[in-house]
Amino acid sequence: MIETKHLTKVFGNLTAVDDLNLFIKQGDIFGFIGPNGAGKTTTMRILVTLMEPTRGHAIIDGLDVSRNGQKVRRVIGYMPDFMGVYDDLKVFEYLEFFAAAFSIERSKRKSIVEGVLELTDLQSKKAATVDSLSRGMQQRLGLARVLIHDPKVLILDEPASGLDPRARIEIRELLRELKRMGKTIMISSHILSELEEICDHVGIIEHGQLVYSGTIEEIRPRLGIHTKVRVQVADNQEKAIELLSALPQIHQVQTNKNYISISFKEGENIDGLIARTLVNANLDVIAIQPEQIKLDDAFLQLTKGIVH
Amino acid sequence: MTMSIKNIWRIFSPFWLLGPIFDKELRVSSRRKRNYVLRFMYIALLSTILFFVWASIVHISGNNLFQASRMALIGQEIIMFIVWFQFCATQIITIIMLSTSISDEIYNKTLGLLMSTPINSFQIVMGKLLSKLLQLILLLVISLPLLAVVRIFGGVPWNFIISSLCLTLTTIIFIGTLSLFFSIFSHKAYVVIIETIITVIVIFVVVPFISIVLHEILDWDRIIHERTFIPAIFQANPYVQFFYNTDRLFSPNSRDAAHFFWYLNCGILAVASIVLIAISTILVRKVALRQATGQIYLSRKKKKRKKDSNVEYQESSTKIRKVKDPPVIWKELRTPMLGKHKKFAMVCIFLTLSLLIFIYWLCARERVLDDPDIHSVFVIAFLIIGTFFTIILTATGITTEKEARSWPILLMTTLDDRQILFGKYIGTIRRLIPVWILLFAHVIIFSLDVVINPLSVIQITILVLWIVTFLFCTGVYFSSCFKHTTTAVIVNFVFAATIWIFAPLLFFILDGFLHISGMQGFAEYYVDTNPFLHAVVIMGANTNTSASSYNWASFSANAFMSTAWMLACLAGYTFIGLIFAWRAKCRFRKNIF
Repeated sequence: MIETKHLTKVFGNLTAVDDLNLFIKQGDIFGFIGPNGAGKTTTMRILVTLMEPTRGHAIIDGLDVSRNGQKVRRVIGYMPDFMGVYDDLKVFEYLEFFAAAFSIERSKRKSIVEGVLELTDLQSKKAATVDSLSRGMQQRLGLARVLIHDPKVLILDEPASGLDPRARIEIRELLRELKRMGKTIMISSHILSELEEICDHVGIIEHGQLVYSGTIEEIRPRLGIHTKVRVQVADNQEKAIELLSALPQIHQVQTNKNYISISFKEGENIDGLIARTLVNANLDVIAIQPEQIKLDDAFLQLTKGIVH
Repeated sequence: MTMSIKNIWRIFSPFWLLGPIFDKELRVSSRRKRNYVLRFMYIALLSTILFFVWASIVHISGNNLFQASRMALIGQEIIMFIVWFQFCATQIITIIMLSTSISDEIYNKTLGLLMSTPINSFQIVMGKLLSKLLQLILLLVISLPLLAVVRIFGGVPWNFIISSLCLTLTTIIFIGTLSLFFSIFSHKAYVVIIETIITVIVIFVVVPFISIVLHEILDWDRIIHERTFIPAIFQANPYVQFFYNTDRLFSPNSRDAAHFFWYLNCGILAVASIVLIAISTILVRKVALRQATGQIYLSRKKKKRKKDSNVEYQESSTKIRKVKDPPVIWKELRTPMLGKHKKFAMVCIFLTLSLLIFIYWLCARERVLDDPDIHSVFVIAFLIIGTFFTIILTATGITTEKEARSWPILLMTTLDDRQILFGKYIGTIRRLIPVWILLFAHVIIFSLDVVINPLSVIQITILVLWIVTFLFCTGVYFSSCFKHTTTAVIVNFVFAATIWIFAPLLFFILDGFLHISGMQGFAEYYVDTNPFLHAVVIMGANTNTSASSYNWASFSANAFMSTAWMLACLAGYTFIGLIFAWRAKCRFRKNIF
């Protein structure tokens, strides 16, 4: 659905996007991650036809964005990292204005606006002026605006930035709902743990170059991040540590107050190994729980954190 | 006691005043390209004017002895031009430089931040003011060697140079404080610039004018004699003071000039500046504290409105308007005519109309409404007002969207660039109607009264149509080129002034000195495309009830030929305007962030 081929954008001496190759399947939620100034926003602006690439191509729904700006704008909804407001418009008028701007038939506009207001839970605010809304409400209004013409692709630049935890959860739920509706979503964020919960794929970008693209599960072997499990025993934790440390498949054993964290060497088969070892040693095992790889770990490992 | 003396000393200590704000302002201004451009333009303009003044004075033929005898006069005239140039140019630069002094801090939310430091509002105001003044003084200092050199020619007393510099300095301090004061209320520099200019006009032109008229009408001569009243009214007026100061240079025994004391004017302006600084300090403190405590609203009323916002949402639910096609035109037409500050706008309109009625009443009382010249003055005045607002409003179309960050969102829709452009044009026309209505009202009313020929209504319509269309196109082009409204407005102003004021002057000056063949004819044809000349010619021919000859700069013609020429100008300006509009359209999607 979204594809970039050798996409490059140069500003004077600065290469903001450098030979970027991306592929996002239809119906996927793609998390676009990178440190500040990595080139995420520039890539998104090229994809939404607001910027011309210096080199390369960006294709959305089979359309080259540089050549088919008008057609591309019909299939995408873009929410920038800022809220552009018209001071004196009310929420309903604001959405109806964009419905008209997308040439939606006049007879259908009201029901469509009501629909997106319901989806984004903004019905109670429809008579409020746009600039009087709180940050969270404005973000929701931004989402409502991008949905007004029912686009196939949503490109959202840090939609959860500056929001309180409740609003972030609400936005996340909304994105899940949109995925269920079959939308392809490209989302950038600095709140990596949130992307982890909703994204099918992630792309990590630094210095304008894609340093990783794939599923979160695929990151682990690619980076040599070891599989971890968390073990809890009823008593004699020291003996358990001693036994587990002696196993050749185990890379590292870390002790915590209530549990032992164990990381395995890459490619080792771990099924039942820990349980067998501890039970054979007459230790009472309370729990053996796999630890999930955190996107933050992958991000830190992949990026050097150098800002342009 | 010792503590309070120490505190007073600390406040007025130059080290305390020239604190971190002053330091920061100087650092920032040294990094801004526009300040260097401004200095270059100042020097370039001063040198050019000086060259032409020199050339015009020494151009007179004669032997060496005659030329040498004229040196003192040459010295006087050159110095007069330099001090007048300094006086006018530094005022314009002051207004521009201080127009964003406080608003930048408010807009970037750094004012509240400063309040959490030991810096106080007085230091903020003084730091801003002094840093800019230092740069302006630098401009004055640049031309000091010129003044010194020319003084060697003789005939120019030191007293004149000192008094001129003092008058210039106190005037720029007063105008600078005024600009800084207005920048507390508006973050748009062009609004501050206009407010400052209008205030200066009201204080130094309108108020004295009304006072003199009232003095005459109400026969105050019995209470205070005219010879005492008029100098008293103009004692605080730096422009009149400057005029008489120059007059004193050429006629030392001038009786009129004897009533004006430049040091008194300097004192009055200094006191006025101190009062304005004190008020600004209090206001800056208020705004800063509000920002520091997270209150975004300035007035209690707005705060209350925010408090009752939930009620407002329910109450105003019926007020939602239906969006009509095309949406850009709908949005432009929906924008309130009087802006956000309706009451303030209403007061301004009321005062303007009152002033107009007063002037018309005065003209009727003096029985001059039948005088053709008075109608030319009215039409020219209304044309200048209309053109002034057209230049401003046309250049705000895109930049205000860029500043509100709604421009990329609008471009992300499937709206055609032409639809956006047309919507903006309609919106601009609608906002300009109240401005141009003054001109049309005057011409229509007096043509009904058979004082002006009705044909002038058509001709004025043609004129206004091409002025608005042309300026809209240039305005929208500059608006697409720049990120800030103020830059677009200033560039549109400079552009209009260049083609309609500076270029004709340059052509005539070149013709006067270089005698290039065909230059005079070209200059005359060029001036015939000038909108102000159009107004003069139209009124000159149409104020005698029956249309008489139209005296253009390069030819004389009848009504039919002149109307044809006006239509040709309309076509020409529209064509050039369309090129600008096309370039603007090409630039729509460039430089949008």
